[in-house]
Amino acid sequence: MRVLVVLPLYGGSLPVGRYCASALAELGHVVEVFEAPEFYTSFQAIKGLKVTSDRLQYLENSYLQVVSQAVLAKVDTFEPDLVLALAQAPLSIQTLKRLKRDGVATAMWFVEDYRLFTYWQAFAQHYDFFAVIQKGDFIEQLKRLGVERSLYLPLAAHPDVHKRLELSGVERRKFGSDVSFMGAGYPNRRVAFRQLVRFDFKLWGTDWDGDSILMPYVQMAGARVTSEDCVRIFNATKVNINLHSSIQAKELVTGGDFVNPRTFEVAACGAFQLVDRRSLMSELFADDELAIFDNMDELSPRIEHYLASPEERITIAKRGQARVLAQHTYAARMRTLLEFVAECRPGWPKPRAVSAASEGLPPELATDIQSLLERLGLPSDTGFNDLVWAVRQQQGKLGELDAAVLFLDEWRKLYARQTGKA
Amino acid sequence: MRQLVIQLARFGDLVQTKRLLLSLLAEPETEVHLCLDRSLAGLAAILYPKVILHPVTAHGTALAKLSAEEQAQALLTANVPAFRRLARLDFQRVYNLNFSPLNFRVASLFDPSIVRGHVWHNGQESVGQWARLAMRWSSMRRIGLNIADFWAWHHPTPVSPREVNPPVQGRGGGLGVVLAGRESRRSLPPKELAGLVTSLLETNPTLGNGPITLLGSTFEAKAAHQLLRELPTKHAGKAKNLCGATDWPGLIEAVAELDLLLTPDTGTMHLAAALGTPVLATFLSSAWCSETGPYGQGHRIFQAITDCLPCLESQPCELGVICLRAFSDARLMRYLATSAPKHLPEGLLDLESAFDSLGVVYVSTAGEDTSNGLRSDFREFLARHLGAGYSWEHPDALKFAERLYSERDWMTPDLESSHNRAFLSTMKYLL
Repeated sequence: MRVLVVLPLYGGSLPVGRYCASALAELGHVVEVFEAPEFYTSFQAIKGLKVTSDRLQYLENSYLQVVSQAVLAKVDTFEPDLVLALAQAPLSIQTLKRLKRDGVATAMWFVEDYRLFTYWQAFAQHYDFFAVIQKGDFIEQLKRLGVERSLYLPLAAHPDVHKRLELSGVERRKFGSDVSFMGAGYPNRRVAFRQLVRFDFKLWGTDWDGDSILMPYVQMAGARVTSEDCVRIFNATKVNINLHSSIQAKELVTGGDFVNPRTFEVAACGAFQLVDRRSLMSELFADDELAIFDNMDELSPRIEHYLASPEERITIAKRGQARVLAQHTYAARMRTLLEFVAECRPGWPKPRAVSAASEGLPPELATDIQSLLERLGLPSDTGFNDLVWAVRQQQGKLGELDAAVLFLDEWRKLYARQTGKA
Repeated sequence: MRQLVIQLARFGDLVQTKRLLLSLLAEPETEVHLCLDRSLAGLAAILYPKVILHPVTAHGTALAKLSAEEQAQALLTANVPAFRRLARLDFQRVYNLNFSPLNFRVASLFDPSIVRGHVWHNGQESVGQWARLAMRWSSMRRIGLNIADFWAWHHPTPVSPREVNPPVQGRGGGLGVVLAGRESRRSLPPKELAGLVTSLLETNPTLGNGPITLLGSTFEAKAAHQLLRELPTKHAGKAKNLCGATDWPGLIEAVAELDLLLTPDTGTMHLAAALGTPVLATFLSSAWCSETGPYGQGHRIFQAITDCLPCLESQPCELGVICLRAFSDARLMRYLATSAPKHLPEGLLDLESAFDSLGVVYVSTAGEDTSNGLRSDFREFLARHLGAGYSWEHPDALKFAERLYSERDWMTPDLESSHNRAFLSTMKYLL
């Protein structure tokens, strides 16, 4: 089927969106990505205008409407079976209404904490499907809003990215330490990590400024760390600390519900992590697949214990890795989501012309088309229309067969219009 | 310099590409290629003997009736080798003329920076600034630029319009009459056409003494028979019906011998102009001569000018095709006999083709052309844009700048911008 993944302009769900797109393609679907981050520079430029706030608001809203219109244009052209939006994706209510009117299935994967990120209350009811990373009260709240088709869909890892790496000596020195944390400087972490400075400790990520105790341990001057370097850090660290974020510093280990992406990502790398317990964790991992701490009193002693027990670290990490690769990948999540949509929406996806692109062609042309499918990473039974989309996604000059396939597609559309054929 | 023109439209459009092709051929050490529909390759070979042709399968109603597999086989078998040849030729410039999805796909074979007109950029169709400007002025159809000139001005310095077609001259072969049914409202019905033919034959001794040649495709055979039934016997008896009976060389031979070709807006009209055969064209309904009139000096056009014109052929006429009335008005015969403007029926202009710095224009010899002032301002605006013999003493041209230039033209870079065009034409003289 065809899926349009709409990324947010910026933020934490951006990499998740990219992993979803990659996973959907891996499952054999034709995926188009709406690259909202490319519009973000212009949006920031508007913010930098130094004009009156009403003018600024008008410009910002107008610009976001344009971006949302761009998503609609993409939908009109690509004709997806599903529009999958990640939290904060630039889909206006007007656009969502139009998609609903046109019968285009829309799903939001809201990979945020609903208690903190409350805007879902205005948007959730406009999506056909609303996937969330929390259970219980959130699902009830959604029902109250009229959202019946919600789905618990925990976060995951993407094994193409989150994997075991063989690091060079230089990389080990740069990214390695006994203990490290990779993430943003939330209040609970700032307080909690003060007790880690007695270890060989490195702190990675953003938003650590102004903390005199921790600043000496912050790497790369607190710059944003790429996904690739995150994986290097996970691989190079003996004990990866994973403390779920909280906006308050009174209770440092909150025992909240959802499990963060880092849990899955570190595990997928076959790296070792010490993670705070979450109420939804036991559904996702068995006791011996993660090393867990329940409160701050346990943290330092456990670090000491695991630093002294490399074999135990390896055993736990391997079990965790096996669990993630078996059940908690983005491919698995996307499969679950699509099954849910199909279950709720009889007759979805609407069948398209099913004959394979190479069907009925003389052997030489069929072989050429098969080679083209192979080059584009598509299954050999891919239909003609999906082949056209994949060809169109290529960059730069096209080859003669690619151009001829696009030409044939447009020719058919022209003559279908002229002869009145559907 | 190796250059390619992609012209995938029909017969008339191929002929109207002549000024651009001649402009490219006029460049030093040039090699000009033309990608066109296979059905027109025979005609193009005669019209443009110095141009290297690349026929592709772009049209064919017969193909449309085949199964999807058969269509795929037919189009891919024909087009993949043709596209391969095009891709390997390493063109320095590609002029992609038609706003058609087929043209955009052919453009995908080339680096976007060398393509002018209709460009394919990483899967996105995009239209260059000159064509975008044309889209904006297309709402002002009474004053628009002739399409042959529009295509030619993709080139920074096209050849003079005088060099495009031979001077107009009758060749003694009598009157040719084109019957056209494809866009039927643009054509005179048999009765009106018979009236005009009779008037021409009876008011012009040269024509009256010569033969009549009916031209058209096999689809027009019925219309030809209807015309013959409407004509007085003495004229009908002299008529030779060539509808559906000519190949390209045969059509060229027939048209080239005529004293005059009476025609609506058709490919054969453009062919006659290309051969220097005098044309009397009837323009009504959706046809407006500023856009697609015959190219050359001294062709004559009867242009219907009722307020509803030009209309859209695709939309039904709810006014009883009132633009046709002038052609059935008895005063038209008197006007043809006397040439006195007072006898020209209302709702009609008698125009003669001429040239200005941009290309072909149509000057009224009878009837009031109320768009003339506006057209003159518009052409001044375009002349400034193109750097073509403009003057800055024409204040009314400014109103077009505000109307036709968009923010995007001003704010974003474009290979076809007026300053890039000026740069290129300067470079041409420097190098």
